[in-house]
Amino acid sequence: MTDIQERLATGKGKFTPRYPELGTGPVSYEDSISPEAFEAEREAIFERTWLYVGRSERIARPGSYFTRELPGGLASIVVARAVDGSVQAFHNVCAHRGNKVVWQEHPSEESSGTCRQFQCKYHGWRYGLDGQVVHITNQQEFFDLDPSLLRMPKVHAEEFAGFVFVNLADDPVPLRTHLGDRILELEAYPFDRMTQRYGFSTRINGNWKLAIDSVCEWYHPAYVHARFIDKDIAKAEKKVPPVDSYHYELFPPHMLTSVPGPPPLPPREPGTAGPPVRDQKWVYRLFRAGLFGPDDVPDLGEPPGFLNAGEIAYWGNDQFWLFPNLSVQIWQRGYYITYAYWPESVDSHVYEIDLYFVPPSNAAERLAQELVVDSTVEFAMQDVNTIEATHSALKTRRQRQFHLSDQELLIRAFHTYVRQAVEAHQAVAAPPGGDR
Amino acid sequence: MSTAVLPAAFAELEPWVADWAKPTRAERYAMRLSKAFPELIAFYDAVAPHAEAAVEHLNRGDLPSLDDGDTRLLQLLYSFILVSYAVNIFDQPKIPDSGSAFFDCVVEPTV
Repeated sequence: MTDIQERLATGKGKFTPRYPELGTGPVSYEDSISPEAFEAEREAIFERTWLYVGRSERIARPGSYFTRELPGGLASIVVARAVDGSVQAFHNVCAHRGNKVVWQEHPSEESSGTCRQFQCKYHGWRYGLDGQVVHITNQQEFFDLDPSLLRMPKVHAEEFAGFVFVNLADDPVPLRTHLGDRILELEAYPFDRMTQRYGFSTRINGNWKLAIDSVCEWYHPAYVHARFIDKDIAKAEKKVPPVDSYHYELFPPHMLTSVPGPPPLPPREPGTAGPPVRDQKWVYRLFRAGLFGPDDVPDLGEPPGFLNAGEIAYWGNDQFWLFPNLSVQIWQRGYYITYAYWPESVDSHVYEIDLYFVPPSNAAERLAQELVVDSTVEFAMQDVNTIEATHSALKTRRQRQFHLSDQELLIRAFHTYVRQAVEAHQAVAAPPGGDR
Repeated sequence: MSTAVLPAAFAELEPWVADWAKPTRAERYAMRLSKAFPELIAFYDAVAPHAEAAVEHLNRGDLPSLDDGDTRLLQLLYSFILVSYAVNIFDQPKIPDSGSAFFDCVVEPTV
């Protein structure tokens, strides 16, 4: 074993046998390429599960709002802060003739702002911050209209730890019931201190689940990201942490994986970065940051006890997978990243990455954050190019199943949870032996 | 009276301002992709010897309200970080095997 592998090895053995209900056999990937599976997931999961749409800071004050165009035509919604402080969401459709009410410049683009009422650009109907109609122009010209029954159709919205979720079902379970005790612990984390945001978005020609598969295992880094680990890529395999240094935990339908990471560099005097060289380690030393975050970690007080539940010796981050399509990644070095995956069709999805830092107090902190952002995005681009390659090959159906190692436990679990959600919904919608 | 392009101590970097002192990440990334690899190395080698002094200089300023010269210097450092991956890791402007993969930056800090 190399030095890093000796230091981090735990000898704790495999994780998959802890979850015997998942088995250890090969897993069909038909769910990632079949149009029928996509339609079933959309109906069973995306139309009736809590979906993360943005941070509460985006609607900090009464009257502040943002719109979301949920990909694949899932929904077009407005999310607003009402006068009573509650979060409100409604479909962005006028009760008069169905025009999109809230948009700027281009109707297909998302927008945000602050207002007292929303006014439809078509015939001037006005709506309150709860989506209820408050004024109908030339109302006397209509026939038997009851304004109290007219509104932009309501969407259930709830906040948790500053994350705004919506649910498109008529009568969903409460958000906190969906999240469950283990995820509710995240409320102790000071997300609200980290308001310096960088947001990225891209469209990927591959199934959304393949994208999640690509980043919830620690088998790929030595290959996909080899150049980052060592310019001599043959050496990269020897320099990644050993397989038993990671942590995996399932609390269905949600999941956690934790990773080790290098401890921050010790403080140094200005002017001691050394003579310039063409070596990224020198750049990391210069700006005091790297893929695992800034070396100068903001003081956030005592870390909440829920972090690093696997007691990793050199803990790097926790990645909480909130079913169905959100990862909240909390880093030891005092920042967090959200990853959201929005299916558009069986073979495309929109991928959103948002990084949040404590606002920097000087240029050095700002530059360290810039480097973390750049590193994260360069890594992410390496991950996404693989998804398109995987999807296009899977579609040939010349291989029929995945062979999953212990390192790929979360993939095994995730596809199972998706399948179970679809089956549960179909059982309710069409009970066996019953008429629809 | 003329406004200095960069703070006096960093006048040597002025030839790089036109291409690399860009206010948005999208512009900086587009510049990285538009350049031949030797041009990225030349930019890296030009900025690297001044980078640590530039950080110290900028740390004396008030981050949200830097003057124009300091803002340009900071933007050169943003570009330097972005170019460092090409020079030190990828040996080419683009990430190898990245195909058509690219991220649009939808939100970034104003400074």
